[in-house]
Amino acid sequence: MSEPSTAKPAARKGGKFWQRMSNKSELGIAVPLVLLIVIVGIVNPVFFDGDNILNVLRQSSFIFIIGVAMTFVLVGGGLDLSVGSVLALGGVISGLALLAHVPIWICVALGILVGVAVGLFNGIVVSVFKIPSLIVTLGMMYFARGVVQVLTRGNPVYPLPNDFNFLGQGFIAGIPVVVIVAAVFGVVGHVVLTQTAFGRAVFALGGNRETARLSGINVQRVTIWVYVICGAASGLTGVLTAARLASALSNAGTGMELQVIAGTIIGGTSMFGGSGSILGTLIGVGFMNIIANGMVLMKISVYYQSMVIGAIIILAVGIDQYNRKRRGMAG
Amino acid sequence: MNDVVLRMKNITKKFFAVTALRDVSLDLQPGEIHALVGENGAGKSTLMKILSGSYPSNSYEGSIEVDGERVHFMSTHDAERAGIEMIYQEISLNPDLSVAENIFLGKLPRRAVSWFVDWKKTHLLAHEALARVGLDVATGAAVRLLSTSQQQMISIAKALYRKPRILVLDEPTSALTEKETATLMRIIQGLKDQGISCIYISHKLEEVFNIADRITVLRDGSVISTTPRAAVEASRVVEDMVGRKIEMMYPKVPVPLGEEVLRVEGLTVPSHIPGKKIVESLSFSLRAGEILGLGGLVGSGRSEVVNALFGSYRRTAGRIFLNGREVTIGSPRDAIRHRLGLLTEDRRVSGFVGTMAIRENVSLASFRKIFGWLFIKRGVERQEVQDLSAQLNIKTPSIETNVLALSGGNQQKVVLAKWLMTDVRVLFLDEPTRGIDVGAKVEVYNLMTELARKGVAIVMISSELPELLAMCDRYIVLYGGAIRGEFSRAEVTEHNFMSAATGVS
Repeated sequence: MSEPSTAKPAARKGGKFWQRMSNKSELGIAVPLVLLIVIVGIVNPVFFDGDNILNVLRQSSFIFIIGVAMTFVLVGGGLDLSVGSVLALGGVISGLALLAHVPIWICVALGILVGVAVGLFNGIVVSVFKIPSLIVTLGMMYFARGVVQVLTRGNPVYPLPNDFNFLGQGFIAGIPVVVIVAAVFGVVGHVVLTQTAFGRAVFALGGNRETARLSGINVQRVTIWVYVICGAASGLTGVLTAARLASALSNAGTGMELQVIAGTIIGGTSMFGGSGSILGTLIGVGFMNIIANGMVLMKISVYYQSMVIGAIIILAVGIDQYNRKRRGMAG
Repeated sequence: MNDVVLRMKNITKKFFAVTALRDVSLDLQPGEIHALVGENGAGKSTLMKILSGSYPSNSYEGSIEVDGERVHFMSTHDAERAGIEMIYQEISLNPDLSVAENIFLGKLPRRAVSWFVDWKKTHLLAHEALARVGLDVATGAAVRLLSTSQQQMISIAKALYRKPRILVLDEPTSALTEKETATLMRIIQGLKDQGISCIYISHKLEEVFNIADRITVLRDGSVISTTPRAAVEASRVVEDMVGRKIEMMYPKVPVPLGEEVLRVEGLTVPSHIPGKKIVESLSFSLRAGEILGLGGLVGSGRSEVVNALFGSYRRTAGRIFLNGREVTIGSPRDAIRHRLGLLTEDRRVSGFVGTMAIRENVSLASFRKIFGWLFIKRGVERQEVQDLSAQLNIKTPSIETNVLALSGGNQQKVVLAKWLMTDVRVLFLDEPTRGIDVGAKVEVYNLMTELARKGVAIVMISSELPELLAMCDRYIVLYGGAIRGEFSRAEVTEHNFMSAATGVS
């Protein structure tokens, strides 16, 4: 043991909470989140009703599932703007298969697989051909939306079978299926990001790609996997969204990429790669949905919602930048 | 005094406690080619940054006179106005603009209404400027599409168009082929006839002796000698460049050498300039416990050798044998699997991950050790990193501290610890002591000795000659990508080493 680390064990234990607070950027947003919940709860106690809580959770789940995947992408130093379009594509493919009387579980798998295929393409183009992720996924955003429109000619795909709609509308033990799926996805994502070699490689990739490469990390493979995860999550969410609405819409998920990115970076994940967490994304996505829900409950015009979220994004990124600069200058 | 175009007098420049230039004086006559030579870090670049106005005139002591008049350059703009043009080793053109736009950047010819650029005139004048350097390319072509040497020629055309009286060329030939170098030499001779003076900085003494009228040698920030070329021998210049260094503690302990660990045959590394090779048909071998000094000046191919062996750079030829068996190394991943390690030249760019803690940085190349078939073994990771941190004496409150919060020396120890954790048997050290304090340097030397004793074979690259000579058992000196000299510890002297490195011997 090196000497300084054993010098003041007592002092370290006492300061550990604050040390963690300042090190973990997602906790910076946790305090305002708790405050927000308390204020909304005091102004309108309806907020704490079981139904309202389930409602907020369900609304958050759709964005959260993609948010988990987006956390991987951002931590790895990339960006995926195609998630909203891939969501629509996944829903529509699944829906069209359902109308053709394909077994439900195969339809669900098809929705996810089309997302995997898109992710594979994005990942290969970004990592092998070294085209910036912003460009590749922006192009894919338009392309995938175009495919959806060609397939549907703009018409909703319905009616979908009730057994399928259960995925989006049903409950298991009083909890919406969507929330359960999101919870499982979140836990698995957290474990993969923090406990596995793949997760560590994603952090290294986003922090310093060249160092990661020279340390024996297969940076191309890791990059491709990250986009595959993101595509799969988008496809899955598309299936769930179609089930929720009992029809697959060609304009589903429009603008969703920005909501997902907003939630992720409000949760402290850096746009510049190398840092972030699933817990932060959970808090960030929750924050956005509670603001939306809370404004309705507090009878504040929803028109203010976008302003508040915009201000929070700038603040969150500003804090992240400040922290990076402070650390960089210390070295 | 009319026979002097430029006089830099008693220039002293300090960076905090470090004196980069001490009482340096330099003068330049009309039509003279004045060569400035010296080892890496001798102060050549600092002196030229002062001349170009990159360091404003209040940041150093001493004076500059142009045509007998005292000048105070506060910016590069001031220097340009006084007729001083710089051509740097790295090309400073905008790759996305056209050739003509680059030549006239900021000074594009205007129409009567000065909002509008007179493109016709621009291209006409650009054509003339190119003709002067004998370059035949379309003036509308984007600079990105041209070869490095063509770009270098455009830099020169650009500088000449501004009709300078003094032209500073900093290692202008490092990107040029032999034929292009010859063209450049002819152009410089032509300038001389027009009465334009040049300051010519180069590592290549061959070139210097071909072209210079006078040669000034800088060492450790001081002028050692200024002599007319005719009156000096190449060997004398090398001697001046090396000189007698301040003695320092180099804790070299010879260890008995073991079996051959690494053998390289015919290593060839291509350059990004098509048809040019950075390293050509290089062969050498390395024994267990041996420290091999890979010498040569910047641009001689020494970094490329270790990067290519580590699988980081592409190589077009070359067989690698480890313990007598041929191995294929196509990526750093392969190299690490064969227990090779590479400490790169710039730890910030490619040594550590700035967003990670010490623990994560040290274990970055040892995933096999710290990850089970699925999950991380935190106890193993923490214990190994903790032990290495103690062994290398990394000064930090905890291994959870972010690596950027450490001093340069401790950051370097983190990168070294990363390679120790992989149980390396061949370690490439590219400038292992660059930018770290003296105390940390000695710790790095001690660690090298200790590794050698354990049988690790080390290839060391260093621009600090005394350090390299003191720490190694054997030396290979590169010049232009090939071995120019090979010395044992008993044979080597600073003089024969530098002679080989500058291509004199």
